[in-house]
Amino acid sequence: MIEEELSAMAAELSGKLSRVRKSFVLQVSPEKVKDACQHVSQLDGYYHLSTVTGADMGDKISVMYHFWKGKEFVTVEADVPKSDRHLPSISSELPSALLYEAEVKDLLGVVFDGNPLMGTRLLLPDIYPEDAPPPLTKEADPEKIRKMMELE
Amino acid sequence: MSEEEKERREVGAGLMEYSPENLVPFGPVHPSLKEPEYFKLILEGEKIVEVHPRIGYVHRGIERAAQDRTWVKNIYLFERICGICSFAHSLAYTEGTESLTEFQIPVRAKYLRVLIAELERIHSHLLWLGLVGYWTGFDTLFMWIWKDREHVLDLLEAITGNRVHKSFSTLGGVRKDLTPALVSKLEEETKFITERVKYYETLVHSEETLVSRTRGVGRLTKEIAERLCPVGPLLRCSGIDRDVRKEDPYAAYEFIQPEVKTSNAGDIESLLSIRLAEVTDSCRMISEALDRLPEGPVRVPFPRIIPRGDAFFHVEAPRGELFYFIRSNGTPKPERVKIRTPTLANLLTAAEMLKGRPLADVPVVLTGIDPCFGCMDRVTVIDVDKSKKWSVSGEELRVYGIEYYRRGAGKR
Repeated sequence: MIEEELSAMAAELSGKLSRVRKSFVLQVSPEKVKDACQHVSQLDGYYHLSTVTGADMGDKISVMYHFWKGKEFVTVEADVPKSDRHLPSISSELPSALLYEAEVKDLLGVVFDGNPLMGTRLLLPDIYPEDAPPPLTKEADPEKIRKMMELE
Repeated sequence: MSEEEKERREVGAGLMEYSPENLVPFGPVHPSLKEPEYFKLILEGEKIVEVHPRIGYVHRGIERAAQDRTWVKNIYLFERICGICSFAHSLAYTEGTESLTEFQIPVRAKYLRVLIAELERIHSHLLWLGLVGYWTGFDTLFMWIWKDREHVLDLLEAITGNRVHKSFSTLGGVRKDLTPALVSKLEEETKFITERVKYYETLVHSEETLVSRTRGVGRLTKEIAERLCPVGPLLRCSGIDRDVRKEDPYAAYEFIQPEVKTSNAGDIESLLSIRLAEVTDSCRMISEALDRLPEGPVRVPFPRIIPRGDAFFHVEAPRGELFYFIRSNGTPKPERVKIRTPTLANLLTAAEMLKGRPLADVPVVLTGIDPCFGCMDRVTVIDVDKSKKWSVSGEELRVYGIEYYRRGAGKR
């Protein structure tokens, strides 16, 4: 029944639902992320947001929101182009995402519009250069960044 | 206000005149300090109104480093994320990676994984309880408990070869098998721990030092917990009975089920009883696992290349749900591994629990969530009324908390 609800949701948000073993992945466009996450978190028992993951997939960054209940994860996934790394923040509806979004912003440079922590750093050291690529992106070369930080 | 406090405020007042660039901070990163974390507390007189955490002082870029290492090497890398729950990390990673393949892991290995995971839970909870004793000024409790914890560490060393980084779980099973001598030693020691915990259970609810510092402190409600999604004992102390071992069993947890303990009190005292009950329950699970331990191999050969795919995997570490996202691109190295440790999930809740509490409760509440070594060296305190700012170390705050309650200021 969760599958039916999710496929109805996918149709409504013009997203794509796929199954990864015992979990579901709901792919939506960046502007629909907020709606999708809110819908999923209101499903019976799926209020627990495990974390927000970002992964550099070459020309885009995929951002995943993992909701957990029982034996399944429901993951809402959105791909953000590297040229325009913006996503609406879900933290006003789901405050548990506050720190997770700040982590993705620090490590991959995705800005979550509406998250109050976007102006500060959560994880990155203050000396990490502003103009260096975020550390988890494929462009980030540890050697070069060390030089920029004048550690060598 | 004592002379000492006056002096501290005057010294602290000077801080405001310096711009941040001119400050040379001692810590939060310093080898002599315990694990660094930085909380900016905003006060109104004695009462905390706002808490801002700043983390990352020991961020070592492990997720990035993992992308350059092979699947097997990463086990040992992830284990080094935490010195207390190192096995939980290697377990989540190995089981998550195994779930990407069709390989069947020997049942005996699954049982042995449960065994070590539960031993680790016992040592972690005992360590935490000792720390609560330390932060509340009950140092004797700290010494007793850490002495008992040595028994568990000795067991871990005897079984896995190491006290801290056990390197026990590996892709395809576990690296070592149990000998009959170890089985009887395990039985003996779990009995010993169960007996000791019985004593501590009466102690923590009757000893005045502990009760006055923990009862009613915190107050986490179910509504807040559902909004902020804490994990582990912190979630269960708000009355929600969620435990990954029970809800989404991994390893051999479908055969050896935990009893999930909850409480509706939502304070630090209920965290004490939940964690102690979990220690007793872990002892029971260990003896059950030993009784039912199946014969057979403990390891099967495992491929170097993992098929393409995503794995969402989580385990119940001593501190709560530990989440791993593993993405394989079909090469000998992972494409992306994301780790969310329980402390990050619990941080916001701790900040919420602190609001409205006196400054003296900071050490106990922050230790209450069991951050890997409850330490808050370099806490910046801003007093709203006086617009003054000063820094205190965790040790100063500990002494301050003990003094505060000794003066009777915390009496309700």
